[in-house]
Amino acid sequence: MPTVIFQLPDGTERKVTAASGTALMQAAVSNGVPGIVAECGGNASCATCHVYVDAAQSESAGPPNDVEDEMLDFTASERRPTSRLSCQLQLSDALDGLVVHVPEEQV
Amino acid sequence: MSPLTTAAPGAPVVDLDLADLRRDPYPAYAELRRTAPLAWVPSVGRHLLTRYEDIVHAEKLPEVFSSREEGSLLLRTVGPNMLREDDPNHRRLRSAAEPPTRPRQVRDLWAASFERTAHELLDRIAGRGEADLIADFAEPLVAANLALVLGLRTASAEDIADWSRAMMAGNSNYADDPDIWLRAERATRAIEGAVAEAAETARREPDGSVISSMIHAAGPVELAEIQNNVKVIIGGGVNEPRDVFGVGAWALLNRPGVLDRVLADPASWKRVFEETARWVSPIGMYPRQLTQEYEIAGVTLPAGSRVALVIASGNRDEAVFERADEFDIDRPHRPHLAFGGGPHFCMGAWVARHEVSAIAWPLVFSRLKGLRLAEGATASDSDSAAGRMDGWVFRGLTSLNVTWQAA
Repeated sequence: MPTVIFQLPDGTERKVTAASGTALMQAAVSNGVPGIVAECGGNASCATCHVYVDAAQSESAGPPNDVEDEMLDFTASERRPTSRLSCQLQLSDALDGLVVHVPEEQV
Repeated sequence: MSPLTTAAPGAPVVDLDLADLRRDPYPAYAELRRTAPLAWVPSVGRHLLTRYEDIVHAEKLPEVFSSREEGSLLLRTVGPNMLREDDPNHRRLRSAAEPPTRPRQVRDLWAASFERTAHELLDRIAGRGEADLIADFAEPLVAANLALVLGLRTASAEDIADWSRAMMAGNSNYADDPDIWLRAERATRAIEGAVAEAAETARREPDGSVISSMIHAAGPVELAEIQNNVKVIIGGGVNEPRDVFGVGAWALLNRPGVLDRVLADPASWKRVFEETARWVSPIGMYPRQLTQEYEIAGVTLPAGSRVALVIASGNRDEAVFERADEFDIDRPHRPHLAFGGGPHFCMGAWVARHEVSAIAWPLVFSRLKGLRLAEGATASDSDSAAGRMDGWVFRGLTSLNVTWQAA
């Protein structure tokens, strides 16, 4: 099962393990990772599960899909080239050890 | 599973008077949060769930807290619709209807028309020096915007506003008043006719509207489904942005210092929007029905139990929001519950945010110079609750009388 490291704005980090195929947002919410709000429950309607994928791994995580790309223009914290909505990012064994940064604000 | 119309064993029973709730529900909610965070309220016929964490928990478990509440007032008013469906049927309808309300579409397709309409409405009243900003501005603005986004080209803003009022009265008709049912039925028949006509046109000429989007959706959508979902959208689509506009304008006019800061920093209108929606949530509660036995807030609810998620109360929960009864645009960012959560997260959120915080408020405060509450209208927020704000299922200002220096 892949492991993901969430780096929080206060400098601490949280390590979460979840089954392949789980959305990164779901892994965060199920494990109580603070700062992943996910108001819409994973439907790419609310833009409150924003994360920055660590620059070194951004390519393997892949680009945002179309619906996600639109929503990323409306996040509370600035959009960066590494921005993803965690509800649209599926975990896989290839992403084991993924590091993502949780932004300062989601709402 | 038939809904259970009695209290769950062990649930505290709390009598609340509906007229008191309409006047000001917040003291009752504070007491419930403190002493009975899940309570059976006979006059509502449901268990009220009032703490923030419990509401969020329930919203994230749609397979237990089902939207398919049998005998719900909304079902009676408009018929089967996506708000009272669970996935996958909810998702099929939501995906068909949602694209025109997404933020980029709002910006690219609708924003210019929203702004034009707002200017036209202000042109009409600017020379008068006084107005009721609810009846003369906010309601016609959001109704016209809604007609546009839905694709109801032949409906006037007045039609939309009347239909909305009639249906919303039905949706909150917990007292079962027959006249209210009759009015709601007349409105829904009229909407069905208007949607059928618009659907015919959109079938030939797609126009980016909600009706057009549903007609041309990948998954099949029946005309009756489009009609019923348009009814739901008209019901909420007028009230909610109108009420956020009214309450936010009221809050700022009562706080000139805050208003000055907002006018000096237009980016802060967004904060005003979110804080207003938290402070006085336009939708105060919505119902769920349990698909299985489940324990929440210390009570084991049997399958079939009816629960009202009281988001207006969650948004005043002191455990999450310090000095929760105060309007404070500088409070630490915490997500409020006004748009609901989970799969039913408000479809109109991006439309409402734009039309109210990017258009309606900035234009009203910049064009109407020296805007102030009309003589006698100035009052503390607690006094205002008695006279001007109304409702608990849906809550907002019934009027907002203001004056300004007419040019």
